[in-house]
Amino acid sequence: MNQDSAIYDSLSTRPLPKWLTDQRDGLNTYQPEVFEMKDDNSLQISIVITGIIIVITVVVLTVYFFYRNKKRL
Amino acid sequence: MKPVYLKTLLIAAIISMACTTKVSEWVLLNSFADKYRLVYYHKGDQATEVVTQHKELERWSETTNIVFKSEVKQAVSDPYYALYYGNRLFGEYDDSSSVKSINTSPVRDKVVEELLAGKLCVMLYLKSGNSEKDNQGLQVIKKSLDSSPFSEIITLIEIDRGSTTEKHLVSLLLNVESDLKEIDEPMLFGVFGRFRALEPLLGRGITEDNIKLLIDFLTADCSCLIKDNLPGVSILCKADWERPSPALVNVILDANPSLLHR
Repeated sequence: MNQDSAIYDSLSTRPLPKWLTDQRDGLNTYQPEVFEMKDDNSLQISIVITGIIIVITVVVLTVYFFYRNKKRL
Repeated sequence: MKPVYLKTLLIAAIISMACTTKVSEWVLLNSFADKYRLVYYHKGDQATEVVTQHKELERWSETTNIVFKSEVKQAVSDPYYALYYGNRLFGEYDDSSSVKSINTSPVRDKVVEELLAGKLCVMLYLKSGNSEKDNQGLQVIKKSLDSSPFSEIITLIEIDRGSTTEKHLVSLLLNVESDLKEIDEPMLFGVFGRFRALEPLLGRGITEDNIKLLIDFLTADCSCLIKDNLPGVSILCKADWERPSPALVNVILDANPSLLHR
């Protein structure tokens, strides 16, 4: 074994590859934070409320115009 | 726009930025191999035979990560070829017969085949010629692979530094770092993606811990940091990377979620 020879010693001072030291030190692992989707019913609620408003508006306007024009009919 | 839609859009955008694809798979699918430049320096007059050969070299760009061009240089005494990777000179060749097989060799074909088959990586073990050191390194590598859960998807190939059939590949590997040619030690190159060779482990650096880190590097989620600054050097080779098989690493990770990086 020549591990203590001058030739081998020169390798000891040679740095390890950067990809390896980064992996060892956890520097390769940065990831943007992952957001987990939670149950979100706001879209359904919004659609239902919009539907109700439309129906009420149509009913109110129908009744309004019905009574307004009742005399002519 | 309603706040709820804006919020949904924002969350979707952030989630799409977070990548859970493994490094080896992401690089194979998305990172094109860097191109080499082969330049023919001459004084101006080219024989018909040479022009014909150069047309063939120009066609290489369709199948190989190389571009060929010819350049007039009055200071040249004899015409020659120079191979560049970026602005680094990788080799010089006297005639066209010397560059004939520069883009292909049996080991390179084998490596391409393995990577396209969905293997995690190919480990190229470049032997020094000193059998004692070579065997010592080889034992460590084999022991590390035997104990790795990913051993079945890693191929180990040994190459003699003095191999005549692989002389171009040996030269390319020794150019991965500027001082490798002067180091007379066995070297272990991790090859992944589209024949990307990582800076090697060499001599006493070939340890079980370092080999595990090499495997960890390739099985980790591909972070933006790696995508933006991919380590290693693309090796010159003839290959069609368009239809790789699905990455086998996912099969192992799906069956063993405990192996996922936290």
